[in-house]
Amino acid sequence: MGAATVSGLLEQAALAVLIGWLAWALGGMALSPVPATALGAAIGLGAVTVFAGTLPIAALIALLAPFGVMLPALALRQVGAHLGLPVAPFSTLELAAFLVAYLVFLAAAMGAVPVDLYRFGYAPLPVALMTLAVCAYGFATGNLFLPLVAVAGQLAWALGWGSSNWFDHVLHVLLIPIVLTILAQRLI
Amino acid sequence: MTGAQIAILALAALSVGLGAWTVRRDAPPAWRFAAPVPLVAEGAPAFDTVLDYTAPAGQAHSPGVALGEGGFDILWFEGSQEAQADVDIFAASVTRGDGGWRVGAPRRRVTRAALGAAMEPPQLVVTLGNTIENENASGALYTTAVSVGGWAMASVADVRMGPEGPLGARKLNLSPLLNRSHLVKSPMVEYADGSHALPAYFEMGQMHGVLVRLDARGRVRDAARMDAPGLQPIQPMIVPQDATRAVAFLRDFDAARGRLLISRTTDGGRTWSRVRQTDIPSPSAPVAALSLGGARILAAMNDDPDAPGDLRLSLSEDAGETWRVLHRFRADEGALRYPMLRRLKDDSIVLAYSKGTKRGITAHVFNAAWALQQ
Repeated sequence: MGAATVSGLLEQAALAVLIGWLAWALGGMALSPVPATALGAAIGLGAVTVFAGTLPIAALIALLAPFGVMLPALALRQVGAHLGLPVAPFSTLELAAFLVAYLVFLAAAMGAVPVDLYRFGYAPLPVALMTLAVCAYGFATGNLFLPLVAVAGQLAWALGWGSSNWFDHVLHVLLIPIVLTILAQRLI
Repeated sequence: MTGAQIAILALAALSVGLGAWTVRRDAPPAWRFAAPVPLVAEGAPAFDTVLDYTAPAGQAHSPGVALGEGGFDILWFEGSQEAQADVDIFAASVTRGDGGWRVGAPRRRVTRAALGAAMEPPQLVVTLGNTIENENASGALYTTAVSVGGWAMASVADVRMGPEGPLGARKLNLSPLLNRSHLVKSPMVEYADGSHALPAYFEMGQMHGVLVRLDARGRVRDAARMDAPGLQPIQPMIVPQDATRAVAFLRDFDAARGRLLISRTTDGGRTWSRVRQTDIPSPSAPVAALSLGGARILAAMNDDPDAPGDLRLSLSEDAGETWRVLHRFRADEGALRYPMLRRLKDDSIVLAYSKGTKRGITAHVFNAAWALQQ
């Protein structure tokens, strides 16, 4: 199976997880976690298999891809937490620091900051160092989730699956509204 | 040590292995341009108009030139209006026969539907724009594709072509902003190792030019910016002088400033000087340029402030510092814009541009003797 085919399957899988997460979140308002999870899985899988190639799915892929590892991993993490898996939440300070750093990163990508940070995501040595830095942070804080995403992203990137830039595997612009929402909930 | 920390150590070990593997197999770009082969003015002057096409309706704009055996294809986008949801890529094949140049009937070459279906998984493509030849792969193209919004939301698609249209396609990964806001316009730049780099530009926020290096599989491996705070440099047209030096001419998106922009590299394109204004007038229009060898550059520009619709062919003997006008193509009905210059295999030169303010496409083939005798 070629890298392009695997990349396509991974994008579809990521979209299935996100659609499933949305269905799970909505279903969870009326259902207990297990049936809500089953509902989400059915809708997510059904959407990308039954409706593959249709306008809504093609538009979602065009709009949001590359999905990377982080977004679907976060969705699965939240579902797992509701199913009783031990998940350590990110602290408010971690989320705020991430938000600031990520906004600087995006500003750099838009040319507002003279250093092109995104460029480092194409080269193997910076990618290796950044991944190890995430692992070191996870080791120090006892947070397994971030190293898991960083290394999974490095693996996909190394195998030529999905984006040729590591940052696309471990970040996504939808993280901004997600983090802002969580921070706002904690402030209220 | 907790279970999580043990797992993280295992992940770190895996990461070290992946890092060693990727570093070892990596082939970083070599930053040495292919030295331009001098183009000598010899033989009798020759000039032909090989295409004079007017769209039956709507607009036809932004020609690209894809070289082939025995001739070349001229590609452009056509539809009711630029950036509308009925724009496809059209092409006309130009071949040299016994009686001179012959042009085939224009036909749709890349449709939005076919491009979207060629991606894995299929993606929505709403409109298409500037399209150029992908010189790293036979018969391949780079096209500007929009799935949502306008040009600032565009992506560059690497399109592998078959006889009936796209066989496969994928968007280049050039931005963390949903992979948005990069476009192409100018032909690729050849390197000494036989690879070609892609000039592109970013249209969201602080606009800037980009020189994209690609790996053997056509994936983005590096990207170098041409930037300047306060200016809006787009559509870089890059002309190498030797293995390490090149000049990039850029359009300023802000028409009010009215000047062509320039940037230079002395390290094979790895880094670029801060983009600056030249004295050359420009109505916010892209230029086409072609090396004639060393510091000699042939360019097509809208550089007459009294007739900004005219396209003038000019020669520089000092890598773009000063220019001598060789020939004027007059705009009788609407502006002549978006020139494209390519050198053919027989050392002829093809100049294509849009005419009548995006109403059609004109293409000429001439030789250096004709250009330099003007």
